Amino acid sequence: MQRTRYENRPLREADVTEEALFDERRKFLKLGAASLVSTAAVLELAAKEHLPAVNLDYAKDPNAGGLELNTYEQITSYNNFYEFTTSKKGVKPLSKRFKSEPWKLTVDGMVEQPLELDVWELMKQMPLEERIYRFRCVEGWSMVVPWIGFELSRLIAMAKPLASAKYVRFETLYDPEQFPDQGRGLLATLDYPYVEGLRMDEAMHPLTLMAVGLYGHTLPPQNGAPIRLIVPWKYGFKSIKSVVRITFTDTQPQNTWNVYAPREYGFYANVNPDVDHPRWSQARERVLGHFFKQPTQLFNGYAKEVAHLYKGMDLRKQF
Amino acid sequence: MKRALLFLLCLSPLIFLLYRLFAGGAEDPIKAIYSVTGYSALTLLYAATTISLVRKKIRLLRYRRMVGLFAFFYALLHFSNFLILDMELDPASVLDETLKKPFIYLGVTAFAILLFMAVTSLPKLFARFYGYHQLIYVALLLVTVHFVMAQKALAYWQWEILAVMAVIGVLKVVQKTGLAKF
Repeated sequence: MQRTRYENRPLREADVTEEALFDERRKFLKLGAASLVSTAAVLELAAKEHLPAVNLDYAKDPNAGGLELNTYEQITSYNNFYEFTTSKKGVKPLSKRFKSEPWKLTVDGMVEQPLELDVWELMKQMPLEERIYRFRCVEGWSMVVPWIGFELSRLIAMAKPLASAKYVRFETLYDPEQFPDQGRGLLATLDYPYVEGLRMDEAMHPLTLMAVGLYGHTLPPQNGAPIRLIVPWKYGFKSIKSVVRITFTDTQPQNTWNVYAPREYGFYANVNPDVDHPRWSQARERVLGHFFKQPTQLFNGYAKEVAHLYKGMDLRKQF
Repeated sequence: MKRALLFLLCLSPLIFLLYRLFAGGAEDPIKAIYSVTGYSALTLLYAATTISLVRKKIRLLRYRRMVGLFAFFYALLHFSNFLILDMELDPASVLDETLKKPFIYLGVTAFAILLFMAVTSLPKLFARFYGYHQLIYVALLLVTVHFVMAQKALAYWQWEILAVMAVIGVLKVVQKTGLAKF
């Protein structure tokens, strides 16, 4: 199988001139405002990070784009995982006792070769690589994460989908014993199990990753242990966590957020500064740990790699 | 003594917020400011309404103005956060957001009402504008809808908050229309 090495897009001149356009008044204002708020919240913590011991064997990402990584602490303390709680700070403490071992991943539907995989075995078999990606949440915050995983296309190749398969559907674990919100019945925030989906060409794209770790270490529960999807050019809710089932189908999967609020969350959910969420703008984003916002990029900065997938589509209508 | 205690109680969310911002633990500081000031303003507005609701049972009426002004204070912080830190004082994006996003113009309208009430709560003006302070009920409605619309999805504890608000609202209507005396 052809191995595609993905390189982060180097920053272009155009990315830099943005700053120069800020007029003096705004700059002055920023300096004034920044001095009022805590240095702890504004400045990158200079303190040495307590990183977990590296326990994965992987090829390093040279970070050709020179992306500035978020800290392990930031990435693992601020999470959306509604199965635990809607509180982003609350997920980490609530997920401490989550059991991600053993973990069975079922691959079924329109395939020649249905699979029942032991994810921990799979991690040892697959060539793992680090991918430093931007991650943009639909809520307007973002981060840069050094994921570790393998291309989803490798798993798809193992299952040999039939020609009739047009979409891939993903499902998160359903286990009310482990996920408090799944036991709340009518009072639950969302309908479970959480479901996501991709069009086949999106799923086959070399940027699409099945992540099993970050910062050299297997994923902590709050980040979707033991295996999750990462689609860097889409809003975070597409990157489904703690996956137990991957199904090949000929109909567009009914993804959870789209069912919950069809006007607000589409199937495609491509990051797009020009297509607002009905209740808030998507033009800018706040990188965790930074006080001020930065402009959001089309397809989260991966337009060069993925824009061709959406040729001829009206991104406003198919959001 | 009572006033001092109440004053400290009203001030506690601000102290909590400053602690959150300065002792770290706020990955998204602007969002933290929104949440804490928003919930505080909302709670204090409902608290001010409750004071007149239970005025026969618990005599706190003389502190109602302070509670109301504290609600305005948190609303002012909330609005300033929107204007200065979130929009970075860029009039174009303020107008854009305000005109395009229903939940924002509901919030801005409610803020205008609170601003008017805060100014006319000065003793001299209050005597003249007393009647207009019924606008609080419009503000309460706007602010409640604004709070719901600001959420991506309502968590069950937010439903609990809404239930409490609904009870206060219904009792207030009952009291106003004179259906029951309490």
